[in-house]
Amino acid sequence: MTTAVSAAPKRRRSGTREAALAWGLLAPSLAGILAFLVLPIMVVLWLSLNKWDLLAPMRFVGLQNWVDILTEPTFARSMLITLTFVAFVIPLQTALGLSMALLLSRGLPGSSVFRVIYVIPWICAPLALGVVWKWIFSPYGGAMNALLGTNFEWLSNPDFALPLVAAVSIWSQVGYTTLFFMAGLAGIPSQILEAAAIDGATAWQVFWKVKLPLLGPTMFFVLVTGVIASFQAFDQIYALTPNGGPQGSTDVIATRIYAEAFKAFNLGNAAVMALVLFFLLVIVTVLQQRFFASRVTYDLS
Amino acid sequence: MTSPEMTTGYAGDSLSKAANEDVRLAKPVGADPHTNGKTDADREDEKPGIAAPLRSAGQTRGVLGTVVSYVLLVFGALVTLAPFVLSFMTAFKSPGQFASESSLALPNPITGQNFSNLFGDGGFISPIVVTSQAVLLILIGQLVFSIMAAFAFARMRFRGRDALFWVYLGTLMVPQVVTVIPLYVMFSQLDLRNTFWALVLPFTFGSPYAVFLLREYFRGIPEDIISAARIDGANTWRILWLIVVPLSRPIIATLAIITVVTHWNNFMWPLIITTGRDWQTVTVATAALQGQYNANWTLVMAATTVAMAPLLILFAIFQRHIVESISLTGFK
Repeated sequence: MTTAVSAAPKRRRSGTREAALAWGLLAPSLAGILAFLVLPIMVVLWLSLNKWDLLAPMRFVGLQNWVDILTEPTFARSMLITLTFVAFVIPLQTALGLSMALLLSRGLPGSSVFRVIYVIPWICAPLALGVVWKWIFSPYGGAMNALLGTNFEWLSNPDFALPLVAAVSIWSQVGYTTLFFMAGLAGIPSQILEAAAIDGATAWQVFWKVKLPLLGPTMFFVLVTGVIASFQAFDQIYALTPNGGPQGSTDVIATRIYAEAFKAFNLGNAAVMALVLFFLLVIVTVLQQRFFASRVTYDLS
Repeated sequence: MTSPEMTTGYAGDSLSKAANEDVRLAKPVGADPHTNGKTDADREDEKPGIAAPLRSAGQTRGVLGTVVSYVLLVFGALVTLAPFVLSFMTAFKSPGQFASESSLALPNPITGQNFSNLFGDGGFISPIVVTSQAVLLILIGQLVFSIMAAFAFARMRFRGRDALFWVYLGTLMVPQVVTVIPLYVMFSQLDLRNTFWALVLPFTFGSPYAVFLLREYFRGIPEDIISAARIDGANTWRILWLIVVPLSRPIIATLAIITVVTHWNNFMWPLIITTGRDWQTVTVATAALQGQYNANWTLVMAATTVAMAPLLILFAIFQRHIVESISLTGFK
């Protein structure tokens, strides 16, 4: 009885000390997160309600920027270009990544060397790779024309620019996607595959009926991260087709925001665009989560 | 890939756990049993009646499959490597040769002229110094502060811990494109635009993603080790740096690599917050050079080579660790 009474305040005191210490340990990162992630969200919300060019005094306009942007054809066009870009990149990147992973998971000698090679583009600066590909597609001394014996202005053609930009993006990310699918494939218990083989399933059937469903969690991860990255793609597009590309054909949301904020200095409009992109990404993520939650089997036991 | 702060590593609790579990499972299971010779043989020994008639047909198909697989793998490797090889070749060519011969021709003679121009008039020394210093500072800050926060979340009890952790996780969802505009405004108001501090400050105080990964790892350290140290009289600070950190070397190495790669390659923020040459990073300088010397591709390819070389060397040294840590952490 006496021990219990005397222990309680002691524990409380050590609890407060522990809490103080914990907050001390958290202080720097918390300050960073508040100053550079939370505060900016509030600032961007405030900016979206104002007209400002960084020089003249800020002018509160309420929802005027929102109305302007959401009814403006340029923004709608950028949205459409972004969706087209994502629609090019995600299915191809996923399918190629999965195919390469299936090939690499066959246990052939040398697989680990190929695996390393495929990851190389992903480690390099997207901007630098964008510049390299800009040279490859260049009409003056570019490698693509030298290879094909043509004399074509690849990136200046409004019909070609977006697919080419998407192709470069796929090229730099397939290896990364492959790694995830390899980890996912290796995680499928061998008993399941053996059971399927004994039941006489063909390799094709095993892939569609066994492997693919069991890859659900990996697929979810690859798709969510891929979609989020593609919606924000900037560096390579900026390098390959500056200023929105030929006739604005590669003016995705990220490059549009950049131009609106830092070329035209319409900070209010740019803030609205950034927030629309943010909402869009949240919606896409939630939808993907719903879709996979209804059909993914996480439990292998 | 535009996102430096690993926005794509954005991952709810369950997500990353799923990815981690994949990897954990990966080790014991190994390769696909259909093509793994040993496993096949074992199975055939056990059930000769079923497998034997199928064997020869399976083997022919196996050989064909192997050939097709190698053709595809080699093709993939060629497509992956060609741009690197071609750009390196161009970087070592004289402008004269580049103008007169096919751009697929080998450099003849091999010249370092482009690189000396790059470091001379191209002014490429300063960007390398600036970027290296920024990356070093960000690396130290992020590791130290993230480790501290992760330890508090993983190993200490205090009111509001779980709610605060959700705030950290929530910030993972914020895309960089959204924060650059307000950050630009904030740094301009503080008169910090076009300074070294503008390059490093937003990233130095730890990253929520690093905190998340480290917390997962710290939680896996056995309680016995920590309480034993506590009984021996070690305080929390000593336990963190002398016991927890050394035990967590693999994940810390992974995070160090992630941070270096992310911030060496970062482009959008330095592009926006710096003007002129003083605080140009390597990526910004490369982009500027390409805009300025539009058709001088030998010089521009020297710049991209310099921009990529440090990470390619890092990759060559640590490739096994890097490849494994990508699938482990899902960083991008």
